[in-house]
Amino acid sequence: MSSNNLILFSPKDLRNRVIVLTGVLLIIGLVALYSISDNPLSIGSSFFRQCIFILLSFFAYIVMRTIPLKTVHDNSTTIFVGIAMLCFIPFFLPQVEYTYRWIDLGFMTIQPSEYLKFALVIVIAKYLSNHQLEVKSKSIVIIPGILTLFCAGIVLNQPDLGTAVIVCAPLIPMLLWAGVNGFIIFLIITPIITILAASNTIFFSVWAVIMFLCFLMFRPNFISGSVLYFANIFTGLLAPFFWNNLAEYQKQRILTFLNPDLDPMGSAYHIIQSVTAIGSGGFFGKGFGHGSQTQLKFLPVQESDFILSVIAEEFGFVGIFLVMIIFFLFIKTLLDIAFKLSDYFSSLVIVGIASILLSHIFINSAMTIGLLPVKGLPLPFISAGGSFLLSCFIMLSLVINLSEN
Amino acid sequence: MLKVDNKADLFHYRTLLFILCFLLLALIGRYYYLQVIEYERHFSKSQINRVKAVTTYAPRGLILDRSGEILVDNYPTYILTVKPYKLEDKEVIFKKLAPILDTNLDELNRRYKKYYRGKFLPAIIGKNLSFEQISKIEERRLDFPGFEYERFDERIYPSPFNEAHFLGYLREVDRDTIPSLDKSLLYRAGELIGWQGVEKQYEKQLRFSKGIDYVEVDTYGREIFELEENKIPAFPGENLVLSIDSNLQKFVKGLLAEKKGSVIISDVNSGEILSMVSSPSYDLEVYRGTTSEEDWDKLLSDVDKPLLNRSISGLYPAGSMLKLITTINLLEDNTVALSDSTLCVGAIEYGGNEFRCWNENGHGYVDLNEAIIQSCNIYFYEKVQLLSLESWVETARNFGFNSLTEIDLPNEKIGLIPDREFFTKQYGRWGWSERGVLLNLTLGQGDILVTPIQGLRFINHIASKGETAKLKMNLNKDVSYYAPIEYSDKTWDYIWSSLFDVINATGGTGWRAMSSSKDLQFFGKTGTAENPHGEAHASFIGFFELNDNKYSIVIIVENGGSGGSVAAPLAGDIASYFINNSQEYLADK
Repeated sequence: MSSNNLILFSPKDLRNRVIVLTGVLLIIGLVALYSISDNPLSIGSSFFRQCIFILLSFFAYIVMRTIPLKTVHDNSTTIFVGIAMLCFIPFFLPQVEYTYRWIDLGFMTIQPSEYLKFALVIVIAKYLSNHQLEVKSKSIVIIPGILTLFCAGIVLNQPDLGTAVIVCAPLIPMLLWAGVNGFIIFLIITPIITILAASNTIFFSVWAVIMFLCFLMFRPNFISGSVLYFANIFTGLLAPFFWNNLAEYQKQRILTFLNPDLDPMGSAYHIIQSVTAIGSGGFFGKGFGHGSQTQLKFLPVQESDFILSVIAEEFGFVGIFLVMIIFFLFIKTLLDIAFKLSDYFSSLVIVGIASILLSHIFINSAMTIGLLPVKGLPLPFISAGGSFLLSCFIMLSLVINLSEN
Repeated sequence: MLKVDNKADLFHYRTLLFILCFLLLALIGRYYYLQVIEYERHFSKSQINRVKAVTTYAPRGLILDRSGEILVDNYPTYILTVKPYKLEDKEVIFKKLAPILDTNLDELNRRYKKYYRGKFLPAIIGKNLSFEQISKIEERRLDFPGFEYERFDERIYPSPFNEAHFLGYLREVDRDTIPSLDKSLLYRAGELIGWQGVEKQYEKQLRFSKGIDYVEVDTYGREIFELEENKIPAFPGENLVLSIDSNLQKFVKGLLAEKKGSVIISDVNSGEILSMVSSPSYDLEVYRGTTSEEDWDKLLSDVDKPLLNRSISGLYPAGSMLKLITTINLLEDNTVALSDSTLCVGAIEYGGNEFRCWNENGHGYVDLNEAIIQSCNIYFYEKVQLLSLESWVETARNFGFNSLTEIDLPNEKIGLIPDREFFTKQYGRWGWSERGVLLNLTLGQGDILVTPIQGLRFINHIASKGETAKLKMNLNKDVSYYAPIEYSDKTWDYIWSSLFDVINATGGTGWRAMSSSKDLQFFGKTGTAENPHGEAHASFIGFFELNDNKYSIVIIVENGGSGGSVAAPLAGDIASYFINNSQEYLADK
């Protein structure tokens, strides 16, 4: 393909770039953690623990690097089924913090759904990269769609709305990458927007009109077009019933987001404090260790969920801009690799992983500035926390492994 | 390596790149808006105004008796707290504060250290502040920056009734204990938690739920105004109604005054505990924080162990009540003819050792019924030899010995009914014989340990002929049942009639419990448990029927002497109390 020449770097350069950018992100995270730890060099401080986690994850990375691409490809179904089954185990264990997310191994806890995300990506990639598959056929979305819904269903029942969203995120980019018909992708997206719009009559009416115009544009046959259109409308009307099935705290978070004045559980308090911390950082920030909001511990879970607020307060817009640029380069490099690779399966997996990481970045950042409800999703390579860091390193090792072919 | 070539085309690559740019630009735009355009507003807010979440409290639930009399109430006190980061010159400020709080510098430093939770969180400096002390601090507000006082409820015991053992007490939560507590109840250092008795058992029900007020404060911590709309109200804890009858409790307490031991009375049909006395006791006021260290030490080191709730945690040799276990085994297995008699001459020899009856002159010829009535040891020594250790142990364990009664109180002891495994472990494979240990077991002696509450469960099983309600302190707790015990009616009837005779027949060991009233049918068994440390423990278990209700009693008097002469008369007194107050007990139902 001649278009491949658009990206001027060789795969090796791109690989090195991913590794360098990862290093920069890890350092940014450690600087922020150093700033908010009372006594950073003591055992037990979040800074110190993060250093240990990085070492352990790096070790896992080295081990994972030895696994050849073919092994991953050939065993993708086994890997997926294995991890999906692990996700059921917490339901038989005692609850941890009112959820069934964790398996307590004694020395550490693991969250299997963390690994379900990329196991799903791998299995979908394997399916889509099958050379016998008729990409233009409509039925191609059925298996990836069912698998995704199944995984999202398990995770939602834990309950973990945030991870469920992440699990769904790679589906559309991967289908798009595989060249699936645009109308089909449109059909997948519509119910989601319909449900979101259902909370407000005006939004819903506007959306119904837009949807109608899109249907006209794509010109499906009359009967299937009408059925799909009205199915969407009914979904929208039924959405309130679904709403009632959400856990109380999930409702609370969404409601708080929609209207911060409704604040029984204090989520709005997090957002108010986070926005104040970010806003008061200004253009150049208050300086390392001088963020009054974060240093005074006004922000809750600042070492994981709200780490970006710490960076924003102490290093200002300049710091945030830098972090965003690095994230941009990171994801773009992944897309470049995916585009340059000759192997289709690898390319699809990398697009899926890029989608997972991007949705983490977007949801976490949007939460700190009050654009999305408080979700408890960490920021890749920056937030403190062992389980997620390990998962990020595993994804990184997959990317590097796959890009070597 | 793999067969399929990459089919991604430039359009798809650009679409995803566009989505990436769009999402990140949206974020950067929002950051720019907050940090550059709205900077002034947020910066001044961070400098001057801070939203502070203030925890609000509500009273803990009260504890009432079955008639609604308040046993445990709340008493409002005020505590003084300080935020450590406001204390610029701690020593100077504490020096000024000490005379107002009637204490010294060292004590203030000690409390500061004890309650310190972090620079920005209030630490408790003074408790039980009087109105006068509060106004003195208020007058000199500027001398004491960062100091605040808040209401803090303590427990008070309004009636002279002050039952330390089952009511229990509250204790301060400290930093070390917090990780082990129920997270959903949101404990903080300095708060109170039920630590013993029903206060502990029903902590979740009694504890209030905390509320939150959001207030805007300036950099000096002064509250500017309260944000009304975000409040979470605090809710008081639920009241707890006990099945205890406080009049009966006071009466029984009087009976046990100057004695060591335990008396428990229950309603057989519902399993409700009407009275639970453990003697000696202590005054719950010792937990109010004004007790001197000397008094504390005295209480802790008292050889009579007043802190121990003997009713559920006191372990005793069971004594003759366990002769009923042997009896039931004999009856169920049809091992002996009821008319089969044994000659008791006051002593018998087994394996070279002499075993004695309590009646040194001997009872003469006794059959099973007479053996129970007169509590003849020789009869049981002889007949227990017909049983196997396994079946005896199984029967005893069926009646709930060697297991918890699951009464709703913490720290219940499990006791011990030794089995083959135990003896082998304790004495070695060849260090004991089945025949030998059965001689001890049938008299409830040797390694056997039971709690008074297990004795009560035992007599309730007999009184209800196997279908027995679980014992409970909480009146509103649903009635549930122990695993049913199934024996033939013949066995139950025989036991009932023997227990009736123990009290009402000529020569019965329990005759001192006999009641003059015709309305009351009294059944019981006395016990005298040998005890190497002194005089024998006197015991009595029994039940009586009154106005279609059944009430059961267990009595243990430590080192009291014989069950018939010490415990049985107390049972008689309790029965008389029920007769005299029978109107009340009719109305109650």
